[in-house]
Amino acid sequence: MLTFLKKDLLLFWRDRKELLIVITLPLLIIVVLSFALSGLFGEDQSENYDLSLSVVIEDNENEALEEFISSVNQSQELPEDVKEALTTGVREAPPVESLIQFLMSPDMESWMTVETMSESAARESVENESKNAMLVIPEGYTTSLLNRIYFEQEAETALEFSAKDTAFEVDMIQSIIQGFVDQMNLQYVISSAGGTIDPAEVQMPVGGIETLEEEQSSSLTIGIDQYFTISMGVLFVLFLASTIASRTGSEKREHTFSRVILSNAPPLHFLFGKTSSTFILAFLQILIIFIGSHLILGSFADRSLTFWFGTILILLVYSFSIAGLTSILTSISLQIKNQDVVDGLFMGIIMLFGTIGGSFVPIYVMPQWLRQIGEFTPNGQTLAVLMEWFQYENFSALWVPLLILAGLSAAAIMGSILLYPKKGETS
Amino acid sequence: MIEAIQLNKKFKEKIVVKDVDLYLDKGESVGLLGPNGAGKSTTISMISSLLKPTSGDVKLNGKSVVKTPADIRKVLGVVPQEIALYQELTAYENLKFFGRIYNVPKDQLESRIQRTLELVGLKERQKDLIKTFSGGMKRRINIASAMLHEPEILILDEPTVGIDPQSRNYILEMIRQLNQQDHTSVLYTSHYMEEVEQLCDRVYIMDHGKVIASGSQPELLSILSNEDTMMVQLNQTSNELITAILKMDVVRNIEETSDGLKIIAKKSSNIISDLVKLVDQHNSKIINFQMENPRLEDVFLHLTGRTLRD
Repeated sequence: MLTFLKKDLLLFWRDRKELLIVITLPLLIIVVLSFALSGLFGEDQSENYDLSLSVVIEDNENEALEEFISSVNQSQELPEDVKEALTTGVREAPPVESLIQFLMSPDMESWMTVETMSESAARESVENESKNAMLVIPEGYTTSLLNRIYFEQEAETALEFSAKDTAFEVDMIQSIIQGFVDQMNLQYVISSAGGTIDPAEVQMPVGGIETLEEEQSSSLTIGIDQYFTISMGVLFVLFLASTIASRTGSEKREHTFSRVILSNAPPLHFLFGKTSSTFILAFLQILIIFIGSHLILGSFADRSLTFWFGTILILLVYSFSIAGLTSILTSISLQIKNQDVVDGLFMGIIMLFGTIGGSFVPIYVMPQWLRQIGEFTPNGQTLAVLMEWFQYENFSALWVPLLILAGLSAAAIMGSILLYPKKGETS
Repeated sequence: MIEAIQLNKKFKEKIVVKDVDLYLDKGESVGLLGPNGAGKSTTISMISSLLKPTSGDVKLNGKSVVKTPADIRKVLGVVPQEIALYQELTAYENLKFFGRIYNVPKDQLESRIQRTLELVGLKERQKDLIKTFSGGMKRRINIASAMLHEPEILILDEPTVGIDPQSRNYILEMIRQLNQQDHTSVLYTSHYMEEVEQLCDRVYIMDHGKVIASGSQPELLSILSNEDTMMVQLNQTSNELITAILKMDVVRNIEETSDGLKIIAKKSSNIISDLVKLVDQHNSKIINFQMENPRLEDVFLHLTGRTLRD
């Protein structure tokens, strides 16, 4: 079998045109698409933002805090330890001061300018567009907030956010403030339940949009270059199955396959040579695409060794599934006399897998039942597994889909053995 | 050694080979002669176990090849009409691959490759890719690939098609050497009558899927023992004259060649005088006349009314 493996690897290596296509074409597409579409997806755009906000503080926070602490101490319902925790908590993280500190923190400073001013000056700044938006912290805000959280009273006042239009920048500022306020509220609620307010947690939104998103979903973001590396890598390796299986047709046509039959070599050695060479080539191809993408675009610069370990595991299973697909296509090729029919059939199968597996079009445009079928295609399953792995790096989520994929591949190889012509006779 | 008994092959409704009986003894060189499409390649595909006959059997030393193809494959070397080589591999890599799958012992493989390359005269080109070779060189490596495991029987299917005379002579000499010195049995198919005449002890002549004659060359030529073949060169010829010659009672066939008119006629004492008269009547003159020894080509013409190249 090794003789067949070596022959197939050597033939592939000698086909420089094919090599160029399977390696450089996907890399070229990844680079072009990443550069072309990165603007659309806003990757690394935070450095270019120049947001501005006018802040109007009408609230007297110190007075409100003293009143609140006094109310807490006079309460008959609260136990002493809770009273102490609440008092310490609001003193360590006063709501208005924390918000202002957050908005004017060094991290925010690099992309947002915040200025406190009177209400009329703030309205004028928004009107003449020198500022994107204004935030009014109304009188009684601190009292209203703390009473709502700790004494479950109706809120009397709220932060007032206004802007001249609804530009993207305005949405960003609003969502940053909202995110921070939500975090603050959460911390206060925790402290009311006997916990302590963690000043580090209160500062959570620091770092901008990406950090916010990460905290909300507990996942890592997939960059546009990473996405195209996965999708193009998976797609081009899928093509390899058809390319290698089609070579069987050439071997039939050029009668080298007849020589193989006449040699008395075990018939399945020919098939296993194709299967194992595809496994090696598919793995090398997708690994080169991933490494190439990393070297050119720095796609996986911040990823750990664990990430690479899991990724290689997925790629190995995917390569095995492509080997299984090649195996069955090879047997089909030996059963059908007309090579044009074989080539057409292979292209059809690959295009079908590519489509329902989500390699050509996003799967959400397809009906649910088709999506479910798509999950059983090697490319569809691998695409889903890689996306999940890239976001969560969770090994426990890998085993089931990878075992399904490996099982389907083993079944394909078994099928190809059954389909393989007996005694090497071909149609 | 090998015997084909009542071989038949049908593709859909078309009968390609019909009732072919054929045998090849140890050390013999047998030719399968016939025009393109006569069924020669299909016959040898069945003999070599690549194709199952529709009916009939092939036996190797009395044992059915159809049932146990592995037996014949062990002792057989097949040179297909097509260049059955990997074009993207070198001559050496091709031979090594085929040697390995033919189970040539590892310690002998290298020496056999070198010896075979020497035999086909391509030792110097062993590191070159097959796709860079001329047609003749490819044919030689095509033969070499079938010889590497030192088969007892070599089947060659039109091994000289489309090559230069030098390569052709090289190949014919090589086959002769294998048969006479190494005692390899040879089954040689061709539509080139000269090659079969040169190489083969016995000949089967095939046409339209059937063996129409067989035997040693003298036996086949004896079919023409009551006929004469003559080459007549005229100063001018016409269709009327050719038709008139063909209408002569004794004339069996006539063929226009570059050397003149080739006439096959029943042995007769007055054919020459009758021919001279007829030519005279058509205002032409005989400028050269030659009696020819009959050849296999003439046998084919006699049997089918066509030439091998028709």
